[in-house]
Amino acid sequence: MTPVFGFNQIRSTPLRLTFLLLTIFALAALACLAVAFEVTRTSIDAAVAAELQQTINEYRGIRDGDDLTERLAEAAAKTDADVRILFYVPDRGSVVSNVASFPPVSGVTVVSDSYIRAKSGSVSDSYLALSARVGAGHLIVAQSREQVEEMGEIFLAVLLIGLLPALLIAGLAGLWVARGARIKIDAIQHTLLELKGGTLSARIEGVEDQNDDLSGIGQEVNRMARAQEALVASIRQVSSDIAHDLKTPIQRVAVVLDQVMNKTTLTEGQEELLSKAIGETERIVQTFQSLLQLAQIEGGAVRDRLHSVDLAEISRDIVDFLEVEAEERGFALSLRIQPDVATCVRGDRHLLSQLIGNLVQNALTHVPQGGPVVVGVTRTGGETILTVSDNGPGIPESERSKVLQRLYRLDQSRTTEGNGLGLSLVSAISDLHGARLTLEDNKPGLTVRIAFPATEPA
Amino acid sequence: MKILVLEDDNAIGSYIADGLREEGHSVDLIADGADGLVQATVGSYDAMVVDRMLPGLDGMSVVKTLRATKNLTPVLFLTSLGGVDDRIEGLLAGGDDYLVKPFSFGELSARIMAISRRPRTEAEPTILKAADLEMDLLHRRVTRGGQTLDLLPREFALLEHLLRRKGRVQTRTMLMEAVWDIHYDPLTNVVDTHISRLRGKIDKPYETELIETVRGSGYRINDV
Repeated sequence: MTPVFGFNQIRSTPLRLTFLLLTIFALAALACLAVAFEVTRTSIDAAVAAELQQTINEYRGIRDGDDLTERLAEAAAKTDADVRILFYVPDRGSVVSNVASFPPVSGVTVVSDSYIRAKSGSVSDSYLALSARVGAGHLIVAQSREQVEEMGEIFLAVLLIGLLPALLIAGLAGLWVARGARIKIDAIQHTLLELKGGTLSARIEGVEDQNDDLSGIGQEVNRMARAQEALVASIRQVSSDIAHDLKTPIQRVAVVLDQVMNKTTLTEGQEELLSKAIGETERIVQTFQSLLQLAQIEGGAVRDRLHSVDLAEISRDIVDFLEVEAEERGFALSLRIQPDVATCVRGDRHLLSQLIGNLVQNALTHVPQGGPVVVGVTRTGGETILTVSDNGPGIPESERSKVLQRLYRLDQSRTTEGNGLGLSLVSAISDLHGARLTLEDNKPGLTVRIAFPATEPA
Repeated sequence: MKILVLEDDNAIGSYIADGLREEGHSVDLIADGADGLVQATVGSYDAMVVDRMLPGLDGMSVVKTLRATKNLTPVLFLTSLGGVDDRIEGLLAGGDDYLVKPFSFGELSARIMAISRRPRTEAEPTILKAADLEMDLLHRRVTRGGQTLDLLPREFALLEHLLRRKGRVQTRTMLMEAVWDIHYDPLTNVVDTHISRLRGKIDKPYETELIETVRGSGYRINDV
């Protein structure tokens, strides 16, 4: 079984739901904290502002200018600039303050330490400042906002100590739940793939006696697979019954025709008609043979027999065999094998030679003017690629998927030989080998490209 | 030769039996599998033709039982239209060859001859001869009347196959299977084309034709 939490599992639904819930939870918690912080900060700032106003009012109460300056100087000397700053700029005379400089402010303003120059000692990171006209000058009183900053730190601590562990615990719990769901989904997926691959006996394990929703789906899939298996079995039975019922009459017809041909004296005209009848009987047989073979290949039973075979060697044999026919019909059949690459695939030699043969003969049948037909074997990215290309009329884009269906033929090829099963067989054989079949434009003509999967080391 | 035919269809059974008798063989025809097994055990036959589906006991079981008792009579299986698996199952059960219905009598006869005369384990000849034609397998050289003939590898292989089975008919299917290892019906007369090319080289320029066309069956090389 694959690891349950690999990187590529991020797309799995249970994991995505877990992450989504965690994100929503985290965002909501953060928003609550932010609002609480903002409310508290505003109320602290308001209290400080009221205190500043009161201080200013006290100094305003002093009528005498000299007395005011003296009291301010005394207060400035006593006050630690780290906690509170007094900055008095009289209309005449020198500044009275416990700092070297302070920026001009109006109303209640937050001032950061970068605008303030300290006399001696240190200043706080930020201040809430209020300025007002007092006596014959401007007084600025600023209170350190350390309280607010400390509160910020407390909130951060709440976040770190409270929220993060909660998120971690919720996340792990979510992953654990998601893992359970993931294992079930993997089992369902695996079984569906097996069913698609022709193993109709595949079933999902461990869902029958459980009643969660995924197990319910699993039970439905199992029910469906059982029904399909029964259906396919009955279809197979019917087709083999049909074949069995038809073989004897066809054989008898063939026997009679053979006896007439060999044991009676015939005129030339009669012999010609008889040859035609024999030929037609053979065609019936071939079509039946192809249909039965198709059913057998699609059934997937042959899959157990696949082993390592050399695609280049098979291509060479079939090209060698069909070359003379191609030549007689005005084609140049050639082989292009990429040198020095591994050309082995897991396959069945007989079926693969039939596949290549069908493709070559398909080209010989559907290209009226003759020309080159090339069978190629190359290797790209671990895949072994078989191509059969011609310079004929090709297949229009819209028809490409249809030509692989049973008995389908393009309108213009109704009159040519063949039973319409050649490409279906090619497609079925290619599926059996787990290969990808694509029809491509050879500009001009058709290229049938079949990519065989990389062979696992034996 | 003494041949046992196990076939439950009357028409086909007598067609096979009559045809083989006409060729000079002695033939016993039996329709039931169990009876057939008994007959095969007591009679000493040179070859057997066995239908896979028989009443009583099916053909596969008949042959499996025979093989289990070390009876090695060559067996040609007959089967209904089938697919890829039938052939292999038949050969695994101990059959020597396999023929799908409907078949032509020529094909059947040629295949019986082929299995009943399996190559003996005598020293492999290095030179094959037919009339004035000589094939040197060591030097891969073919001469006729002392004149060297220039053959393509596939023509050489085809001629070698026919020469090794001199005097016996080889059907198109048999040639296709043996020379090119091709086991599907290509629906064309490619084998005929190969033969006619080979004839162009070894027969055309000479007075006597070595490769004979056997009507309804295939080809044969004669020693003339």
